[in-house]
Formats: sequence, C-alpha cells, structure tokens
Amino acid sequence: MASRTSFMSKLTSAFILLCFIPFLFLSAGCKRENKALPILGNQDVVNGDTIRHIVPDYLLTDQDSQQIRISGYGNKIFLADFFFISCPSICPKVQKQMLRLYDKYKDDNRVMLLSHTIDQRHDSVTVLHRYAQNLGIDTGKWKFLTAEKDSIFYLADQYFVSVVDDPSAPKGFDHSGRIILLDKNRHVRGFCEGTDPESVTAFFSTVDRLLAEEYK
Amino acid sequence: MYLFIRRFLYIALLVSVSTSCQTNPYRQGHELYKINCESCHMEDGSGLAKLIPSLKSSGLFRSTPECLICLIRHGLDKNQLTGQQMPANKRLNDVELANLVNYLRQEYASITIAVTTEEVNACLANCKDEE
Ligand code: HEC
Repeated sequence: MASRTSFMSKLTSAFILLCFIPFLFLSAGCKRENKALPILGNQDVVNGDTIRHIVPDYLLTDQDSQQIRISGYGNKIFLADFFFISCPSICPKVQKQMLRLYDKYKDDNRVMLLSHTIDQRHDSVTVLHRYAQNLGIDTGKWKFLTAEKDSIFYLADQYFVSVVDDPSAPKGFDHSGRIILLDKNRHVRGFCEGTDPESVTAFFSTVDRLLAEEYK
Repeated sequence: MYLFIRRFLYIALLVSVSTSCQTNPYRQGHELYKINCESCHMEDGSGLAKLIPSLKSSGLFRSTPECLICLIRHGLDKNQLTGQQMPANKRLNDVELANLVNYLRQEYASITIAVTTEEVNACLANCKDEE
C-alpha cells in the first residue's frame, strides 16, 4: 500500500514537472526576444575600443530650405529612405510604405522620417516642398532632404542603400527601396524592403523593439 | 460511396463557381496592369495620397471607354499642382489595350460589357485627331 502511494506521488510529481517543460521553452523564447537588436555594419577595434558603424551627420537642406543635421534633433530614432520624385519604378510603392510607418508613429515624437532625394538635377527645394504638401504629411516629423550629389550618394552607401547612376535604368538611376532604422546614436539597427508590404509589417515590431530598448 | 462522390463533386463545383465569380476574368489585362500601372497606382489601385490618383474612386471607368483608351495610350501632361505625370503607353497594341480596359472596367466599375479591338482602333484613330 505504502509503495503504491509513493508510486502515485512520483507519478504526480513527474506529471507536474512535465507541465513545466513548455514554460521552460516559453521563457527561453522570451529571452531571445529581449536580446538587443544588433548594430549592423563592420566593427573596428581602435586602441582596445570597439568602434561601431555610424551614419555620418552631414549638413542637409530640407524642403523648407532649412539647413539641418540629424544630430540636431536630439533624442530621436529615424526611419530613412532614398528616392526621387520623377521615379516611375519603385519609389511610389516605397513612399506608400513610408506613409504607413508615418501613420503608425504619427503621435510618437520619438520617431522621425527622412527621405533623401538622389536626383539633384530635378528635385529642388521647391519641388520637394510641393511633393511633401501633396503627400499630406507634417514636415516637422517627415523631412525631405537634399545635398550635393556626391554627399547624398556617399550617405546612401553609409546607410547600406545601393544607389548608382545607370543610364539603362528608368530615368538614369538604379537604387534599392530599403527603409533603414537608425537609433539615437546613428547606428543602423534594422531595415526592410519598402517594395514589399509584408516586410514592412514585420519591420513594425523591429521599430517597436528599438523604441523599447532606447527609452527604458 | 456513390453518394459520397456525388457530394464531393457537388461541393467542388460550388467552390470553383464561387471562386471564379470573385476573380476578374481578364487575365492578360491584369498582367498588363501589374507591368505598366501597378508601380504608381498600387496593387489595389489605391494610388498615393494626392500625388497619384486612386483608381477606386475614379469616375473614368464608368464613362465611355474612349476617354480611358486615349488616356492610357497618350498619358497625361504634368499636373501643375502635384508635379506628377501619367506616362504614355505607346507599346501596348490594340488587343492588349482592349484586355487592359476590360480588366479595369470590371475591376473598378463592375462593368462586364467588353470593348472589342475594333472599338479600340476606332477610338485610337480619334484621339490621334485630337492631338
Ligand atoms: C509613373 C506613374 C504612373 C504610371 C506608371 C501610371 N499612371 Fe496613371 N496616373 C498617374 C498620375 C500622376 C495621374 C494623375 C495625372 C494628373 O493628375 O494629371 C494618373 C492618372 C490616371 C487616371 C485618371 C484618374 C482620374 O480619375 O483622373 C487613370 C484612369 C490612370 N492613371 C490609369 C493608369 C493605367 C491604366 C496605367 C497603366 C497602363 C497607369 N495609369 C500608369 C501616374 C501613373
């Protein structure tokens, strides 16, 4: 009789243990979620310090002819893309997705959006201004930026966005429709393909993770 | 067993009828839309704010097909308010234009009366005259 009860109690404790196994996996899953978003790009070690890739803080001109540096906005994270207004191929789709991101974070003043034109010949400040107006967005939150062509092309490279002059491409530019996520310190923390709405949907949670991480 | 097969076939028929009713029958028209129009007007025709008009709310599909055919072939001049331009489509032939227009009218105005290639050609001759 005694052995029977001890067998039963062993059985129950085994059962209870079994019940906990799924929780073990769950908590492991949560831990993975909590891990910091990686900083993308090469890392260098200089004098024993690790130097991470940083997007340069160039002087840029916005749609209202204001000179800006993104460091001047202080404590913000940024969503950035490279486009041009007369672009018949991927740009309208990418801007549509930027608009989705804009709508999601419209009332969250920790987030700003930056669209850089790669067509200095056509996209003057006036043209950028008109474009922003017709997009119906608040230019305090979403800036349309330009600079010398060489600077913008180098900047795109530093954002890991490929932009090249290509006479065979529509309107002479070949570029990718990536949307890039920058943290407060101008480190690249993530990106999505602006031509693919599903990639952007998944990107929402990346942005939310960075927000949670940066504003603890 | 016989009853089971008969039921199965009956359900299969229902499913295929209901799905084919929902999809637009103009396959080539849809493909041409994806290649020539979707990049600006978007997959669902919603456009982009004030820059590129939504096709869902366009009255053009309900009006005479002539306007639509000329618009697609010759595009529109740069809009002075938005700076945007609807490009011309010189490479689409009469059959492709008919399929595209039939696709658009079915999709955005539920019009099932098809335009023929003869009508397309008659119309193209007319919009050339306007130029
Ligand atoms: C490069 C971008 C672009 C492409 C590609 C494009 N469109 Fe347009 N479309 C426009 C713009 C911009 C306008 C508005 C022009 C204006 O307001 O003058 C427009 C206007 C229209 C209108 C008129 C809508 C209205 O109610 O006024 C229709 C219909 C239309 N496009 C259909 C098409 C079809 C069909 C195709 C593919 C064969 C196509 N578009 C390809 C940019 C584009």
